[in-house]
Amino acid sequence: MPTITIDPITRIEGHSRVSIHLDKSGMVQDAQLHVTQFRGFEKLCQGRPFYEMPALMARICGICPVSHLIASAKACDALLAVRIPETAERLRRIMHLAQIIQSHALSFFYLCSPDFLLGMDSDPAHRNLFGVAAHSPQLARDGVQLRKFGQEIIRILGGKRIHPAWIVPGGVSNPLKAEDRDAILKMVPEALEIAQRTLTWFKRQLENFREEIRVFANFPSHFLALAKDDGGLAFYKGWIRIVDADGEIVNNFEARDYQEYIGEAVEPNSYLKSPFYKPLGYPQGMYRVGPLARLNMARHCGTPLADQELAEFRELERRFVLSSFYYHYARLIEILFSIERIEWLLNSEGILSDHVRAYAGPNEYEGVGVAEAPRGTLIHHYKINPNGLIQTANLIIATSHNNLAMNRGLTQVAKHFIKGRVVPEGALNRVEAVIRAFDPCLSCSTHADGRMMLNVQVFSSDGELINEVNR
Amino acid sequence: MTKARVATVWMDGCSGCHMSFLDMDERLLDLADRMDLVYSPLVDLKEFPLEVDVAIIEGSVSSEEDLEKLYHVRSRTKVLVSLGDCAVTANVPSMRNPFDLDCVLRRGYEENADVNRQVPVENVPRLLPRARPLHEFVKVDVFVPGCPPSADLIHFVVSELLEGRTPELAGQCRFGA
Amino acid sequence: MKPNTAQITTLKIDGHDCGARSDETILDVAQENNIFIPTLCHIDGLQDIGACRLCLVEIKGSNKLLPACVTRVQEGMEVTTNSPRLQHYRKAILEMLFSERNHICSVCVSNGHCELQWLAEQLGLTHISVPYLHPKLEVDASNRRFVADHNRCILCTRCVRVCDEIEGAHTWDLYGRGVDTRVVSDLKQPWGESESCTGCGKCVHVCPTGALVEKGRSAGEMTKRGQFLPYLTLMREERQ
Repeated sequence: MPTITIDPITRIEGHSRVSIHLDKSGMVQDAQLHVTQFRGFEKLCQGRPFYEMPALMARICGICPVSHLIASAKACDALLAVRIPETAERLRRIMHLAQIIQSHALSFFYLCSPDFLLGMDSDPAHRNLFGVAAHSPQLARDGVQLRKFGQEIIRILGGKRIHPAWIVPGGVSNPLKAEDRDAILKMVPEALEIAQRTLTWFKRQLENFREEIRVFANFPSHFLALAKDDGGLAFYKGWIRIVDADGEIVNNFEARDYQEYIGEAVEPNSYLKSPFYKPLGYPQGMYRVGPLARLNMARHCGTPLADQELAEFRELERRFVLSSFYYHYARLIEILFSIERIEWLLNSEGILSDHVRAYAGPNEYEGVGVAEAPRGTLIHHYKINPNGLIQTANLIIATSHNNLAMNRGLTQVAKHFIKGRVVPEGALNRVEAVIRAFDPCLSCSTHADGRMMLNVQVFSSDGELINEVNR
Repeated sequence: MTKARVATVWMDGCSGCHMSFLDMDERLLDLADRMDLVYSPLVDLKEFPLEVDVAIIEGSVSSEEDLEKLYHVRSRTKVLVSLGDCAVTANVPSMRNPFDLDCVLRRGYEENADVNRQVPVENVPRLLPRARPLHEFVKVDVFVPGCPPSADLIHFVVSELLEGRTPELAGQCRFGA
Repeated sequence: MKPNTAQITTLKIDGHDCGARSDETILDVAQENNIFIPTLCHIDGLQDIGACRLCLVEIKGSNKLLPACVTRVQEGMEVTTNSPRLQHYRKAILEMLFSERNHICSVCVSNGHCELQWLAEQLGLTHISVPYLHPKLEVDASNRRFVADHNRCILCTRCVRVCDEIEGAHTWDLYGRGVDTRVVSDLKQPWGESESCTGCGKCVHVCPTGALVEKGRSAGEMTKRGQFLPYLTLMREERQ
C-alpha cells in the first residue's frame, strides 16, 4: 500500500509522525498518527515519597506543568484526606488560569497563527512566528505579550515561569503578597485588550477557511470535560461529564470513579494510548476533550465578556460545534475568560490570607486528582504504602483522550486534500494543521516513556514509499 | 551581514527548555535580526540542514531515534549546546534507568491499559535501555544546566554565541535551578 | 573553652600571613581569615575525618595534597588553597559523587538548599564527565517523621558522627565496601524499627544533601539547620 509520511510534524508540542495510506487508485484509504516518544513516568515514580509527586510530575510537560502540579497535588490532597484552605484553592486557580492563557497563546500565536495569517499554502520557510512578525508585527507582539502575561503571573506566584514548585500537597507553599496582587492587576487591561482584538481578527479570518472548517475533524462525537453542578465552565474541579454530539448528558461521574468509565487501548504503532468511553467499547467510545469540548458543554462561562463570546460561538452550528477547526476559536474565548476570572479571583475576599496550606500525613492509600489542562481533562491516580511511598501510578493525559479523534480527523483531511501520488506541500501542511488544531501536547501524552516526531509517509497500494516529509 | 544559522532540537525532554527559550519574549523577535532559525519544532523545515552554526538541544538521549538524530545534528553543526538538565545530566528521564526497560514499558502499555495490551513496536523508535546525557555520545561545546535554564541565561548564551564568543557559564548556573 | 596551652604559629595561606594556635587545622585558620576552602564532610562541631577530600590544599615543599580539615598548621607553612590542579581534583571528586548515586536536583526536596549542588555551582561544574551509574537504591520511609533516601547520600558520615558524638546513640553506621557502601541504622534495620534512634533529628539537619529529610517536604522545601552544633559541642565541653 502506498504511504505518505510526514516526519516530524512541526509546530506542535512534541514528537510525532503521520502515515497516510493510499489505495490502488491513489486515493487515501487511511491515515495514522504515530507518537514516537515515551518516558516512563508511571514507573519511574515508584518508590518515591508521594509529596514529591507534584514537582516530579510537572516535569512531564514544560508547557502545561501547572496542570500537572494541580492534578498531582489534588491526588495528594486526597491521600492526605484534607480539605485545603479556600485561599489556597483560589491561588491554585489563578496560577492554573494563567497557564491556560500562556499555553493557548503559544498554540494560537506561536504555532498556528502562521497558517491563519500567511495561509496554509504559504512558503514553509517563513511559515512561523518570525514570518508572522515580518508580516504583521502587531499580531506577533500581541502573542508575545499575552503569553508573557500568563508566564509572568506564574512567576510572580511561584518564583519561576516554568516548573515552579509552589503548588504542594495540602495547598500552596506561600501566600500572595498585596504588592504582587497589584502588579498582576495592573497587567490585566492590556491582556484583555489583546484577547478581544485577536478574537475580532480571528472571527474575520474564518471565512477564508471554510474548506478547512468543513473537513478538519468535523464529525459527531462525544465530548468529555469537567463541569460544575450548574453546568458552568470548569477548570479546577467538578464532575467529569460526557455528553453526546446532540448535547445530551450521557454520564456524570466523580474523578475517583474514572476507571469505571474510561478505558485505555494500545495500538502497536504509537506510544500514545487511546482512552475510550468504556460503556461504548473500543474504538466506538471515541470522544473529544479540550477547549471545544469545554465550550460545547458549558452552559455559561461565568464572566461577562466571555459569556457574550460564548453566545456567539453557539451560533456557529445548530447544536454542538463539531468542526475541530473551531478549537482555535474556543481557545481565544477561554483566554478571555481566564483573564476576567483571574481579575475576579485577585479581587476576591481573603485572597491575601496567610492560611494557604493544610498539613497531614497520609490518611488514605489511594488518591485521584483531576484538572482541565489547556488541552483537556488530566487525571493523576496514585496508590501509596503506609509509609507514603508510591506503589503504583496511572496517568491519563489530555492529549491522549483526543487520539482517536485526531486519527479520524487525519483520515478525513487526507482524503479531502490528497488525491494521487503527487502531494502539494500545502496539503501536507493541512494534514499537520488538523493535528495542530487539537494542540496536542506530546511531551505530556507520552509521559509513559516516549516522544513524538511528525513524519508523514505516503505509501502506494503495494506498500511502496512514494513520498515522505519530515518535520 | 550574514545571519547566524541556529537550530533548536527537542529530544527526550518536557519542552520546558524550549518554553524558556520562548520566554525571551520580545528579545526573541529582536534576535531574528541576527539569526535565522533554520530548524526547530517552531518552524516548518523538516530536514536538519547542512552547515548550522549553533544547534541547541533539549532533552536526553532515550531512543535509537534520538541517538541517530544527535549524530546527524553533530555532523552538521559547528557549536552544539546542551540545554537544560535533561540534555546535561539526563535528569528526570534518567529516573527510569534503575528499572529494567521491559518493566517500564509494561507498566505503561500492559498494566495501565484495558484493551490491546501490548508494547508498541511498529513505526515507533526503539528505546535505549537507559536515558543518557548528550555528551556521553558526542562532543558538546556549551553546557547550560537548569530545569529549565532561565530565559535570561538562554539569552546570554545565544547572544554570546552570535557574537562569536564562547559563553562563560561557570558559577552562572546550577543543576536543578 | 579549651585551656590555651598551644603555642602560636605563623604561616602563609595564599600569600596572607596568618597567626594560629599550633593545635589548629589549616581549615580552621583559613576560615578565621575568611579564605574559602570547599568542604563537604566537615561540619563545625563534629570530629573531622578527611573523608571527602574536597578541602585538599597544596603545601609548599610537598608534592602531596593534604586535606585542610585534618592537617595541623606548622610554623612557616605556605599553603595554597586554589590552583588549577586543586580545581581539577575538586571537580573530579564532585563529578564522582554526582555519578555514583541518583542526584536529580530539579525534583529534590533539598533543591536550592543542598551543599553538593551549591559546591558544584561554586566550583563551576556545568556537567559530569564520567558516566552515571544509576544504581537502584531504596528510600527508607519507615520512620514516622523522617526519610532516608540513599539515592542522594554521599557517604559524608556527618549523620554517623553527630549521632555518635553528640546524641550518643550511634544509630547510624556504614555497611558494605566501596561503591556498595550504605549508611544503615542499627544492624541494617529499617529506620522506623531502630531501637537506638531517639528521633532527635540531628542527623537530618547536618546532612548536606536531600538524603536525610523531614517527611512531608515538597521539592525545594527542605532547609537544614546545622548551626546548632558548635553550641551543643561547646555546652557539652563546659559541663564536663
